[in-house]
Parts: sequence; C-alpha cells; structure tokens
Amino acid sequence: MARLMDMGLEKVNSLLLEMATISENAVSESIDVYRKGGDGTSVDRLSDQLRVLHNQVSDLTMELIARYQPVASDLRFIKACFEVSYGFYRFGRYAHDIVEVRDIIGDVSKCDQRPVVEAAKKTQEMIRMSIDAFARRDVETARMIPQMDDVVDQRYRDYLRKVITGKGDLRCALSATLILRYLERIADHATYIGDSVVYIVTGVSPPS
Amino acid sequence: MSSEAERLAAGKDGVAVSQEPDTTSVAKTKTLVEVQGLNAWYGPQQILSGVSMQFSSNRVTAIIGPSGCGKSTLVRCINRLHELVPNAKLTGSILLDGADIYGPQVDPVDVRRRIGMVFQKPNPFPNMSIRDNVVAGLKLAGVRDKKKLDEVAKSALQKAFLWDEVKDKLSNSGASISGGQQQRLCIARALAVEPEVLLMDEPCSALDPTATAKIEDLVITLKRNYTVIIVTHNMQQASRVADYTAFMYLGKLIEYDETASMFETPKEALTERYITGKFG
Amino acid sequence: MNARRKLVDRFWIAFTLVALVLALAPLASIIYYVTVKGLAALNISFFTHNFSQVGTEGGIANALQGTFLVVLLASAIGVPTGVLSGVYVAEYGSKRYGEIVRFLADVLVGIPSIVTGILIYSTLVLSLPAPFRGYTAFAGGVALGFMEIPIVSNTTSEALRTVPNSLREASAALGVRKWRATLVIMANALSGVTTGILLATARIAGETAPLLLTALGSTRGFQGWFQAMETMTLFIFQNATSGTPFLVEQAWGASFILLITVLGINIIVRIVTRRRTTFV
Repeated sequence: MARLMDMGLEKVNSLLLEMATISENAVSESIDVYRKGGDGTSVDRLSDQLRVLHNQVSDLTMELIARYQPVASDLRFIKACFEVSYGFYRFGRYAHDIVEVRDIIGDVSKCDQRPVVEAAKKTQEMIRMSIDAFARRDVETARMIPQMDDVVDQRYRDYLRKVITGKGDLRCALSATLILRYLERIADHATYIGDSVVYIVTGVSPPS
Repeated sequence: MSSEAERLAAGKDGVAVSQEPDTTSVAKTKTLVEVQGLNAWYGPQQILSGVSMQFSSNRVTAIIGPSGCGKSTLVRCINRLHELVPNAKLTGSILLDGADIYGPQVDPVDVRRRIGMVFQKPNPFPNMSIRDNVVAGLKLAGVRDKKKLDEVAKSALQKAFLWDEVKDKLSNSGASISGGQQQRLCIARALAVEPEVLLMDEPCSALDPTATAKIEDLVITLKRNYTVIIVTHNMQQASRVADYTAFMYLGKLIEYDETASMFETPKEALTERYITGKFG
Repeated sequence: MNARRKLVDRFWIAFTLVALVLALAPLASIIYYVTVKGLAALNISFFTHNFSQVGTEGGIANALQGTFLVVLLASAIGVPTGVLSGVYVAEYGSKRYGEIVRFLADVLVGIPSIVTGILIYSTLVLSLPAPFRGYTAFAGGVALGFMEIPIVSNTTSEALRTVPNSLREASAALGVRKWRATLVIMANALSGVTTGILLATARIAGETAPLLLTALGSTRGFQGWFQAMETMTLFIFQNATSGTPFLVEQAWGASFILLITVLGINIIVRIVTRRRTTFV
C-alpha cells in the first residue's frame, strides 16, 4: 500500500544512488590524475556536486521526519541515509584532496606508484561493495567490508614505517603517504556505510 | 513556580519538595496488574485469545492496534466492566497486586473502585454540578461530610489540571464546559475515589489537538501516583506518552516492549507493518 | 414532464391537507360541542350539590370528590408498582426477562377496561368478607390502579431507556453500587417518568366501565372507602342516558369539566418537561 511518505523515501534513495555514482567516479578519476597527471578541475566539480547533493539529502531527511513522524524501518532508513550521504560526500572531498596533492607536488609518474595503486584498487572495491550493499540493502555484502578495511589500514601503516627511514625521493614519499592516508579514510567511510546498511536492516549498531 | 505547581510539588507534610528532573522513569517499579491467559467473548464471538501481559506500577502503558483487535475489550476486562454486557464471557485471570480480581470472594464493585476508567466520549453526569460530578463516586458511596467532599473535589481538580479553569463555576452543570474540560472533569472524577490504576479508553478521540495536548501532559504527571493504561489508535500519542507499548492484533498480543525500542526496532514483522502504516 | 410532476405534487399536498382536516375534525367537534353545551350547565349549585336525578338541584360535588379519591387510591397502587416494574425492565432484568415483562405490560394495557372491571367485581365486590363486600370506592380505586400499573411501567422503562448508556458505564466504572447508580439514572429520566405518570393519571381519571362494576355511583358524598361512590365519568353516563333534558345538560357540564381537567394535565406536563429537575 503506497503511503504519503514513500515518495519522499524514494527521492532520498535516488539522491543517494546518484551521489554513489558521482563519488565512485570522483575517486577513480583522482587516482588517474595521480598516475598520469592532468587537470583536476573535473574532480573538483564532482566534489562540489556531492556537497550540494548532501545538503539536499540533509534537508529532505529533516522534512520527512517533521512531516511524517516515521517509525521503525523508515526511521532507521532516514537516519542511516544522512550518515551514508555524508560518507559519499567525504569520498568526494578526499578525491579533491588527492588531486590537490598531485597539483602541489607535481609530476610523480616516475615514482614507484605501486603502493598507492594497489591500495586504491582495494579501496575502490570497498566503495563498490558499500554502494552495492546500500542499493540492495544486502547485509551479507556489508559484513564483508570491515575485513578489507584492515588490509588498507595495514598498507598505510607499512608504507609509513618504510618511508621514515628517509630513503628515496621526498616528493614520491610525501605524495604517496598523503594519498594512502586519504585512501585509508575513504576505506573507513566505506565501512561506516556498510554499518549503516546493517543498522537499516537489523536495527543493530556496531559496538562503539 | 506557580501556586498550582507548588501545590503539586508539595509532599505529604505540605513541605515543598525541590523540583528535580523527573526520575520516575528510573525509579523502582513492580508489576501491579498482570493478565494471564485471558480469553473473552461477546456471545459466540471470541474477542481475546490467550492474552498475557504485565503492567508496571507508576508507568504509562499504551495499547495500540487496528480497530477490532480487542484493546477496548481488554481494558474492560481489567475493571470488570466486560461482564456487565449481556452474553459476555471470559476465562483466565487478572491479578491486581498479586490477587486475582476474578476470584470467588472478590466484590466487583470494589475492583472498580481500585481500577478507575475514563471513556472515549466524555460522560459527566449532566444533572449534577461540576463539584458534585467530581465527588460523585464518594457521594454515591455514602460520604456526606461537605467539608471533606469540597477538599477532595479541589484536590482532584488540581490533579486533573482543571481547578483554575472551573474554580469560579463549581456549581454550574457538568455539561456546561467544553469537551476537553469535560474529559478532564471525568479524569478528576475517576481520581477522586483514589484508584490504584487508571484505565483510559481512547480518551482524546473526541477532542481537538489543543485539548489532546493538555490531557497528554496530564497523563505524564499522573504516573507519579497512579499506574496508567491507555488505549489509543493514535500511534504518535503512544510514542509521546507511554513508557511501554503493547501491540494487539485480532485478539492476540503481538508484541510488548519499551516504547522507544518498539518504535525504532520492532521485533515482529506484523508490528513493523502496522506502525509504519503498511496495514490496510 | 416538469408540469406533470408539479401537478402530482400539488395533488398530494391537497390530499394530505384534506386528511389532516378530517383527522382533526373529531377533536375539534368534541371541544366545540362540549364547550357550547357544557357551559350552559355551569352555575353555583352545579358545583355544590351532589348527584341527583330528582328535580333540578343536582350537581357534581360528590362526583368531583369521588374522582379525586378513586384516582388517588389508584395512583397509590399504580405509581410505585409501575415505576418499580419499569425500573426492573430497564435496569435490572436480563434482556430476556425484561422483554417478557414489557410484553406482558403491553398486553395488559390493551385489555379492555371492562374486563378489569369484571375481575375486580368478582374478587372484591362479590367475594370480600363483610363489611368490605359490595360496590365500594375501594374496589373502584383498585380496578383503576390495576389499569395504571402497566401504563406507568411502560412509560417509566421507555423514559429510562432514553438515558444514554454512557452514564451507566460512568457510574459502574466509579465502583458505585447498582441501586445507587440507578438513582442517578432515574434523576436523568425524571421528566420523562413524571410525564408518564401524569398522562397515565389523566387517562384512568377518564375511565368509566370498570367503575360501573365497582364504585357503582351514589347520590351521597364520601361515606367511607367501603361504600359506593360517585365519580365524574359515572355522573356523565347516568345523566346522559336518563332522558331528562336538564340531566342531559348536566352531563354536558360534567363532560366540560372533565375535558378541561384532562387538557389542564396535558398542559402541566408540557411545562414540567421543559424544566430540568435535579436530585441525587
């Protein structure tokens, strides 16, 4: 039975899916810029779009709560949507930050890009899984994300330990460190998105 | 602090107790009313099937559910009003403070004095004044002391947040005030006989939103001294006033939980469907 | 088509108007004739002398006395019994017993008054031990009382039935004993109950047939309950059939007095139902 609120819920859902695609593209474009150089303005534009969309989601969720007094799964969904939206927004911000690193430091195509590229692959897989879990409200997929987060965390820490020995080009080390840091944060947010999906379906939040 | 609030806050000795934040929600509570395996019929039609639940003292428990789920019948069994209907039948037991109110030695009139009720449509006695309405329960039990009756009337009207509005027209007919005021009058009337439990059967259905809000505020203060069981078809009302909520459907208890839990994460699929409005 | 419908409409209006006139005609003619013919008989001696078929000095003095006393006795029997019976039907009887009593009352109301007359005749007039035997005012009062009981019972139970059930529930929920709660219900139905009593009284005051077999009539004033007595209706019967023009005129005069008395009671009833009465 269709309810008054359903239209609003669908709108929020489609806004989030739109943000999902945009943020996924922003992150992969930013990695391309790191690897091959190029203009970062496209990524910046995507990041701005995400900020605007996040504000729309924020306004819409408030309106739904004020007008319809949602309960149970509807309420959990709306609460989670706000958090997920913030996650996608952060993807965009970090993509912007990655491009900024390349912009400031300059050409790093001669550096050993493997650590970043491999971490990026894992992170992008996590992004895809979090989007998938959200779109299908799939708890199974969502539960697989935290393990992958551990891998990305490990890569970051390992590289950090290696880089403080001081060997190698400072520009390469600095850019890689910063970008790995951003990728680690992106991975964290992907995990949070997974947690939100579990909360929507089961009502259980992860222990803090 | 207004004089009315002062009076409400004053303890037994008349000494004002400091206005602390409401701690009754963490104060100790016990089960005051316990329904065990209740079945009820009107003639051949079974209305309640095997209903069992507990109501905590000094708490507000709401009973929600679609029309025909038996919630009104349930409360009418609790104050033994159900049996006054011809061809009504019930089995099972209901314990008030541990003793079965349907026990063989129990006087139903006494049960009804200890368990008061307020109805959906306000029903003050039209041929009695406001003051007489409030103390009707006492007068009809034979109490004649005018001074005592006046004291009880004032105290009950204050508890019902109605004193200030009617103190200058106590001798007007009980039917001469607005609907919302009449309902508070009925609450005062029920409180005047000092019940332990107050049953409220959709008390705000016939009232406008402002009057409803006043009664909801009143209900929350009542739990300091009484155990309140409120039947409502308005889920938002249940989520506003109740500590616990029971969801009934087709004569059975489906789920019973703390209100906040039930409205955030209900355990039964049926409950989820009902409270999100996906029912027909 | 419109013109035809208008025509049909006008026809029905005219038809119902004619029917109305025909329905009111008997009442109008009664009032007219009785007034015109009755007024001629009224003078001082009409009111001060007793019934007499000799000469031109008779009057309704003892008839008035008799009607008053007989109706008094009838009401003393009929009103308390009828009211209590009506209360039983409306408040206490289970639905089935209540319906049975009501049905019996309906039947009794429909029994021709002469049959009641015969019953009292054979039980009181013929079979009582002396000095209670014979045609007596007492027997007349009892006969009319018997007739009054079912009428008052029905009007009382009808009046009580108009009191909304919400008041019964309110009293029950307060933990009030049933008989005290019934008093409250009575208070709310008081005007209806009084109307019923007054109308029943007016009706039996106009009965003739049972009095022919019980009070019989007399040319003397009140001699005691166990002597025959004259009443207004007997006076009219005896004089109308006498053949003497003067006496026939007296009959019209008595009819006129009786008519305005009945009208008077009906008017009082109207006034009574407008005012509200309070007791508890």
